[in-house]
Amino acid sequence: MLIHVVISGIATGCIYSLMALGLTLIYKATEHVNFAQGDMAMLSGFVAFTFFEWLKLPLPLVFCLTLLFSIGLGLAMEFLLVKPAIRGPHFNVFIITLGASIVLQSASGLIWSHDQFPFPSLFPDKNLVLGPVQTDAGSVGIIATTLVLMLILFLFFKYTKVGTSLRAVSQSHRAALLMGVSVRRSFALAWAISGLVSGIAAFLIAPVVFLSTQMGLVVINGFAAAIMGGWGSFPGAVIGGISLGVLENVAPYYFPPQIKGIIPFAVLVGVLVIRPTGIMGEKRQRRV
Amino acid sequence: MRRITAFHWSIVTAACLAMFLLSPLVLSRYLVFILNLLAIYALVSIGLNFVTGYTGQISVGHAGFLALGAYFTAIVATKAPYLPFYVILPMAGCFAGLIGFLLGIPILRLRGFYIAMATLAFGVVISQIALEWRGLTHGDEGFKVTSAFIGSFVFDSDKKLFYLVQPFAIVLILAAHNIVSTRVGRAFVAVRDSENVAQTLGINLSWSKTSAFALSAFYAGFAGGLFAYVVSHITPDSFSLTISIDFIAMIVIGGMGSILGSIIGAVILTGIQQLLGSLPEIQMLIFGVSLIIFMIFMPRGISGVISSLATATRAGKRLSSEQEAGEKGA
Repeated sequence: MLIHVVISGIATGCIYSLMALGLTLIYKATEHVNFAQGDMAMLSGFVAFTFFEWLKLPLPLVFCLTLLFSIGLGLAMEFLLVKPAIRGPHFNVFIITLGASIVLQSASGLIWSHDQFPFPSLFPDKNLVLGPVQTDAGSVGIIATTLVLMLILFLFFKYTKVGTSLRAVSQSHRAALLMGVSVRRSFALAWAISGLVSGIAAFLIAPVVFLSTQMGLVVINGFAAAIMGGWGSFPGAVIGGISLGVLENVAPYYFPPQIKGIIPFAVLVGVLVIRPTGIMGEKRQRRV
Repeated sequence: MRRITAFHWSIVTAACLAMFLLSPLVLSRYLVFILNLLAIYALVSIGLNFVTGYTGQISVGHAGFLALGAYFTAIVATKAPYLPFYVILPMAGCFAGLIGFLLGIPILRLRGFYIAMATLAFGVVISQIALEWRGLTHGDEGFKVTSAFIGSFVFDSDKKLFYLVQPFAIVLILAAHNIVSTRVGRAFVAVRDSENVAQTLGINLSWSKTSAFALSAFYAGFAGGLFAYVVSHITPDSFSLTISIDFIAMIVIGGMGSILGSIIGAVILTGIQQLLGSLPEIQMLIFGVSLIIFMIFMPRGISGVISSLATATRAGKRLSSEQEAGEKGA
């Protein structure tokens, strides 16, 4: 029984990893913190819902159209919100994305109402038996999708020219600029990829928790995961996300069930107090 | 033209104050309630400004301190009915301040964004505790607050409460005004502008940040106590994450690093809340859009615009008088 709980914990954790990954992508390239990451996923979820329920499009087409939309959303956020404030302190961009989060949430509430909607799953609804382990196809699907996405991202960053230029920007804007990398375009690209990741996350989260305007709050778990793993580290985002998911699913077995809602916050406070650099984080010297 | 002296100003101020204190005689019960709520939000907003506007450390959990103050007041007033409000309220403030101090010690060593996340988590944990610890807080049923009293006089209506809330608010606002112009307040600003320079000048960074945080929590906790008396029935959802974000919107719109700005922000947001009470969607949309617009175009908020206009007028006057002098000289 415990193994089943752990597997569904890993599946939940994969969702948190995707959130954390989206946050880390933007942070690494631009040093900005995007509080609206979860609400971007929420909006993509509602767009997909509209395509599927109202326009009756087939699910694979809906998936592709929604991902295009999420990329566009990432680009739009960068162009409309971040670019105008690029000269200000990072603090300002954080507040702006906080504002964007409220705007996305209330605008979606106006358009689609605050009700909960069932969302079609990409995966068949049946139980899988793998040797002694019994689990459901949904969890396996989530884990597999996340793994594939991470592999693609890894290959992209490691072996393509664009990916390499993004890594260069994340190390030093000035040096990248001198090497002929367009820092502005890299910023936009980071937001676009982050938008894509949030769009995929929408398809994985919405079937599990129902689609609602409150779905964006998953960003807080994403933050907890990213900080637990080590803020700014890609492997950290993945490890942090999965550990948080497992912790959240296993803890109610040993403690009163109310604890589940508090875990991400307890983890946040705990990690920040005890070891702010997280599991994978390295200590960074502050520049004057 | 006769010069306006400090004496004239003090007369004007006294007249305004007298008018304000007599306003419950003519205003409706509802408007007086709004004025009370406004004073409370202004106090929280000033408190948040100590940390965010003056010291440059963002807090996304100030509703947590408001909750601490409110529940402390409600619980102490029930368990110890012989204590008068003027003892309970400072105690509530100090309780929140102490928690703020203890929380500040570990988290204020961190950099800006981590502080935001830690305070966010703190705020949510506090409202969760208020929801789950039913034995103490009565959970989501809410807590009925025993009315404040002096002798046999009970503050049981909004108009009576006005005379409980406003004097405290005025004193605390004046105190804040003094604090920011003293050595302590200037140390906060120095920490915000450059930690390295501040440290070089002999300012103890962690002490400044932690005391700013504790002071801020004191204001929020005190305001929480007043809030408990004013709304008389407190529930955990009065202290949610949304409320913390509303406080941030107040100081962003009003003006960061300004006491006047904190009050302006509280007035504007409370105004919008009351006008659009039946349309929470539109209200949230306006808050979000104004957060974005102010942060992009006017990061110093309304009070920033006012003060730069004032500087411009003064500079303009000086320029024209210099020109006059120059023409006479020629």
